[in-house]
Amino acid sequence: MPPIKTRIFSLISIALLCWSIDAHGQSSVDRVKAAFLFHFTQFVEWPPSVLPADKSPLVIGVLGESPFDAYLEEAISEETVQGHPVTIRRYKDVAEIKTCHILYINLPSGTIQTVISQLKGRSILTVSDKKGFLQTGGMIRLFSEDNKIHFRINQVAAQAEHLVLSSKLLGLAEIYEGKEGQR
Amino acid sequence: MQQFFIRGIALIAFSIILAPQRAFAQAQDTALDSKQLLSLSLEELMNIEIHSVSKRPEKLSEAASAIQVITQEDIKRSGATNLPEALRLAPNLQVAQVNSHAWLISARGFDAIFSNKLLVLIDGRNIYSPLFAGVSWDAQNVLLEDVDRIEVISGPGATLWGANAVNGVVNIITKDANSTQGFYMSESVGSLYKYSASARYGGKIGSKLAYRVYGMRNSYDTTYIKDKAGKDISQNDEAEITQLGFRIDYTPSEKSNVMVLGNFYVGKENARPEKSGIDGQNITGRWTRTFSPNSELVVQAFVDRTWKRDIPSLISEELYTYDIDLQHRFPIGKRHSLLWGAGYRFMRDEVISSTTFVGIVPNLRNMDVVNAFVQDEVMLWKDRLKLSFGSKVQHNVFTGFEVQPDARLAFMPNETNTVWAAVSRAVRTPSRFDKDYFLPFYPVPDSVPSVQGGPDFISETLIAYELGYRVRPCRNLSLSLATFFNSYDNLYSVEAVPGTQTYHIQNGGEGHSVGLELSGNYQPFEWWRLRGGYTYFHKEIRNKPGHNADYYNLGLDPEHQVVLQSIMSLPYHFQLDVAGRYVDDIPGAMGVSDYLAADVRIAYVLRQFELAAVGRLFNDDHSEFAGTYIPRNFYLKLTCRL
Repeated sequence: MPPIKTRIFSLISIALLCWSIDAHGQSSVDRVKAAFLFHFTQFVEWPPSVLPADKSPLVIGVLGESPFDAYLEEAISEETVQGHPVTIRRYKDVAEIKTCHILYINLPSGTIQTVISQLKGRSILTVSDKKGFLQTGGMIRLFSEDNKIHFRINQVAAQAEHLVLSSKLLGLAEIYEGKEGQR
Repeated sequence: MQQFFIRGIALIAFSIILAPQRAFAQAQDTALDSKQLLSLSLEELMNIEIHSVSKRPEKLSEAASAIQVITQEDIKRSGATNLPEALRLAPNLQVAQVNSHAWLISARGFDAIFSNKLLVLIDGRNIYSPLFAGVSWDAQNVLLEDVDRIEVISGPGATLWGANAVNGVVNIITKDANSTQGFYMSESVGSLYKYSASARYGGKIGSKLAYRVYGMRNSYDTTYIKDKAGKDISQNDEAEITQLGFRIDYTPSEKSNVMVLGNFYVGKENARPEKSGIDGQNITGRWTRTFSPNSELVVQAFVDRTWKRDIPSLISEELYTYDIDLQHRFPIGKRHSLLWGAGYRFMRDEVISSTTFVGIVPNLRNMDVVNAFVQDEVMLWKDRLKLSFGSKVQHNVFTGFEVQPDARLAFMPNETNTVWAAVSRAVRTPSRFDKDYFLPFYPVPDSVPSVQGGPDFISETLIAYELGYRVRPCRNLSLSLATFFNSYDNLYSVEAVPGTQTYHIQNGGEGHSVGLELSGNYQPFEWWRLRGGYTYFHKEIRNKPGHNADYYNLGLDPEHQVVLQSIMSLPYHFQLDVAGRYVDDIPGAMGVSDYLAADVRIAYVLRQFELAAVGRLFNDDHSEFAGTYIPRNFYLKLTCRL
């Protein structure tokens, strides 16, 4: 085979390899984080004004790069939480957010404060894994320690948005009390 | 032993009854499918171990050396039962099994009875023997379940790790006690891997102190040899080892950590006319003080005693090692990161011969090694071009001062590509087998053949040139290519003093080796991962002027080797894993023919229980070392993690 053909052939095979990865290749860390988001929905009570008791959908939103892959999205869309079908929405910008109950914010730390201030008064449970997230008024921060994922809750911020977090959730969480360690 | 077995089964049965719905096994880090992930409870979710791969390869991809990492997951899914089997997973190592409890392991060639150019550490404890300049693999056991990772660096690592890291460094790192909380028990029965039981419990005292204790016993059946008619006969090399140990991690603050660990073992190995015995004890302590993410101080000390009564070689050895090391890393300005360290090791080695036919003279030697090193890592251009250079200076009792410098350059045009190059010098310092070996050790006249030590033996030296490329073309594919040209001088030879039959151990050889190591990791689907590599190796050794020795036995090295591991998580909690390897033939009188081997593992995982069947499949007459044969074998293993 002439060398140019060989090279093209190897480029194609690399491209094929990559393609199949981009379709499925989420890291397990992201998948576990995504599962956490889904689980949080079961331990939060939203005001009836934002989540009526009928079968209105419960929306998990993602701002920035999504931790959900196609498989998880599909699996989640088959789930219901207390009678509410669950759907996932992706947003590029805060302005796009209409109905949303839990929002995963995956943006650079610097921009988070603005986002949170724009969400005030809409009873959206905010979650992120970014450092300093709770200081800026975020509600739940996921972090890893000892190769496991833990979460820390800013209860004051949640109460201010009229969200009721179950005692079970609070029991499993570390409670944020105004300052966060290095972790 | 029977009793132990029954007790183990009873313990597992007991735990089934008592704790059926305890949270998901902590070590559950296999790729979970989406449905499973959603059906877990929040507590279970919090107990899932996540891969730290996203952190590691980033660092790995910047490393200017041929480093490969075997993860806990790789080990678990390979069906490996001991360290040498786990090391087979590194495509840049050559591993040959000699009998039920002996292995030859080397990197970049020179795999021989005394594979003396590979440095091995377990949790920072150097297990390189000053007696024969190698590792007694039979005495080195770890609970594989608690291994965090094994870092395998092929190529010299002498500047950081010290003498004898000539062709490679193997760093076996066990998990922090915080990560091994809870019960772990496993029990297995099989043919060659006849029986094993292990248990570990990890707990906490307060929030700052974590500990674990473990015990394990492995029992191996015999391999075989062939009689003149070609009939298989047992080699009668059954072996059994029992080991107990602990680890404590105390973290009084985020900035400091104290670790203490210890291992105690005793074993028997069948031989004729009686059994060989081994036992050993070691304790390691380490204090780490972190000043900032790029500045820390580590002080480590260990005490190690090993004893072996080796019937086949007719000698017994008792070795005490006392070692203390200090390492300090800190930045200078924005571009430099300085690492320096110093260490002292004292060894008391006593050898008793059971005959006057062969012996080590003097039978007792006190040896010490003093070392100091410094290495600077400097960013030459943005974060793109990194140079690290440094040297180790070491003093030993046989050859005095040895200098081992190296320089490494890494160019990272972007996050996914790294090109690196390195030049280093490393030495293999004399062992007692090089200096003190006598055959026989009573005086004989010149005209009678004898070996009378190596009065003039000095260190073997290497200058290594390496060039490598690492790429991550997409998220779940990573490839690494390392090439090398090694130039050796003063290689070991055994030659007669002119005009006599008196042989001395000398440095008569010189030569070079070239090679290529390709390795990769590829995850086409969330449920399927492939890893492995190909290694090419070729060496030429010749006599230096005025010498005339045969160097064939210095290394029984295959030219080609392929390792491929496939890790598959199937539906209904099944796992199907294959670890296969191809090893090219080794020509010559001591050679073996090429072979293909595959370790196949099928496992069923149900919450905290795992049942695995492992088969080691290869041709009949499978031989990895001239004259000895390893039977095809299988085992069944039940594991419980609470």
